[in-house]
Amino acid sequence: MAIRMKGLLAAAILLAGTGIASAQDKLVVSIWGGNWRDGAQEAIATEFTKRTGIEVQFITGGTMDRLTKAKLSAGAPEADVTLTTSHVAYLYSSDNLFEKLDTSKIPNLKDAYPVAQRSPYTIGLYSYVYAPAYRTDLMPADYKITSWKDLWSDQLKDKLGLPDFDPSHIIIAAAKLSGADVKDWKEGIPMLEKLKPNIKAFYQSDATSQELMKTGETPVQVLLSINAYHQMSQGIPIKLVIPEEGGVVGIDAVGISAGTKMADAAYEFINTALDPQVQEKLCGIYKCSPMNSKAHVSAELAAMPGIFTSVEELQKQILVDDETRAKLLPEWKSWFTENMTR
Amino acid sequence: MNDRRIWWFFIVPCMLVAVAVVMSLAAVFQYSFREFVPGSLETGGFTLDNFYSIGRPVYFLVILDTLLISFLTAVFCLLLSYPVAYALVRTQSEWVRTLLVILSITPLFTGEIVRTYAWMLVLGSDGFINSTLMALGIVSRPVQFMYTKFGVIVALVHFSMPVMIIMLATAVSHVNRDFEKAAANLGAAPLTVFWRVTVPLTMAGIVASTVVIFAWTMSAFATPQLIGGGKVLMISNLVYLQGLSSFNFPIAAVLSAVAFIVAVGSLALVQPFVTRLERRVAEQ
Repeated sequence: MAIRMKGLLAAAILLAGTGIASAQDKLVVSIWGGNWRDGAQEAIATEFTKRTGIEVQFITGGTMDRLTKAKLSAGAPEADVTLTTSHVAYLYSSDNLFEKLDTSKIPNLKDAYPVAQRSPYTIGLYSYVYAPAYRTDLMPADYKITSWKDLWSDQLKDKLGLPDFDPSHIIIAAAKLSGADVKDWKEGIPMLEKLKPNIKAFYQSDATSQELMKTGETPVQVLLSINAYHQMSQGIPIKLVIPEEGGVVGIDAVGISAGTKMADAAYEFINTALDPQVQEKLCGIYKCSPMNSKAHVSAELAAMPGIFTSVEELQKQILVDDETRAKLLPEWKSWFTENMTR
Repeated sequence: MNDRRIWWFFIVPCMLVAVAVVMSLAAVFQYSFREFVPGSLETGGFTLDNFYSIGRPVYFLVILDTLLISFLTAVFCLLLSYPVAYALVRTQSEWVRTLLVILSITPLFTGEIVRTYAWMLVLGSDGFINSTLMALGIVSRPVQFMYTKFGVIVALVHFSMPVMIIMLATAVSHVNRDFEKAAANLGAAPLTVFWRVTVPLTMAGIVASTVVIFAWTMSAFATPQLIGGGKVLMISNLVYLQGLSSFNFPIAAVLSAVAFIVAVGSLALVQPFVTRLERRVAEQ
């Protein structure tokens, strides 16, 4: 019996040792699940592994769930590299969860638009917009959206779906329609309150957004352009509209976890992600705008709403700096929860 | 192994679990006294402001909604579960018992998310109920079930029923049939026997199971999140929105404390009543 127990113990130690060795051979990347992970695997990880021989292991989760996990595992990070929304990346860096980047180790950064350098800790990889989108088969044939203010139309009573995990887009739009700067967003409150009869439901994730759109429960949504195109690829007839005031631009950024033992590989991963060919492939999959100015954007992709091929085009949209957005987001969410959800 | 050693065998694991629970609750509740710092995951210094913040109408209304939804869920659950539990215990037919067990207990093994998604398909605008109502010409446009308290309560009742059925079936199985036979021999009609003998003898089980379902529904999250679509908020949803979505851990901690106190308080309030009932039944 004792001999058998010792044997089992030895086997367990050996297996554990093997596990540790194999984990150290891999670069662990934190990202959202579904098509986000699949796209990053196909465009970035495959090329990265080809260049370095290092496998990429993705760990997935929602934006805030991953941030919570990162905070809980600070000092011994679960992931070596994290892809997240740029204003959430600000929270990572403000809490010392990202390490300050040595940009000399990211040669492809020299070809990136200036907007890609989000902070000394984070690099933007691609951009997209949040904008109104609607089901063409469930809205009247002559229905169209040209401005954010069309979301306030009586025609949309009980038809609108909004994200509740991040209400910043509609708040920013209301502020802009009220002639106010984002920092004076409260001037848009009267408009926001008038929107309540049109809101049928709030979605908590990309999956619930898709469910609400697919079932037609909310035939009009404020939607992330990448998700709109993903849903279109699933056969849901959706039209994405960039309003005349502009869409609310989002940038997904990447950072290296403080305390990672794979720093060199992490830099190479970021450099690979900024490679023009990788950017072209990634944006072809996601239907987003590349951050590397040398990345080729096909005419078909460039013609799609929400795709930008120059800084000038990007700057015609609504851009809010990460710090402002990160600091105002809790206030916006609290206000939104207290005043818009009931 | 002597008696004392056997007791320690049980007591030590219980104490370890209790210490872990108390420490984790303390770790959460200490955030209640910390200042919220926008744009940071870290909290600031000591403050009592968070306790004043939950006096805002929205928090009060969400707490009221949570109590109402939990109460209605417990009541409807009881009304639907008692007949099933009664039939489960009293049926003479083995296949009826097997069928009832399969139908009532197996949903326990499918998980909350799967069952909630199933209800989304049933309650949606083009779901089973609306499609049937429209096909039969009863309604001309879909009835709004999703994103309402009604829809949330329906799904929560279904979610909680297996647990209540198990608890009630235990209570019914402990009823001494001699009392029912005596009442029948004295001329009581079957319904009278049920209402005047069976129900009172199972009252302790009824109260205990209702309180358990009430307290367990207080912490419901996924069902109100998915069926409520952000339009029906319970305390757990608010904790998630404020804590994990806005990173306002202090407010989330205060809300968690309120939910904990209400749930434990309701159990504590009812416990003497249950004990008295159990004693009375034992004396009979």
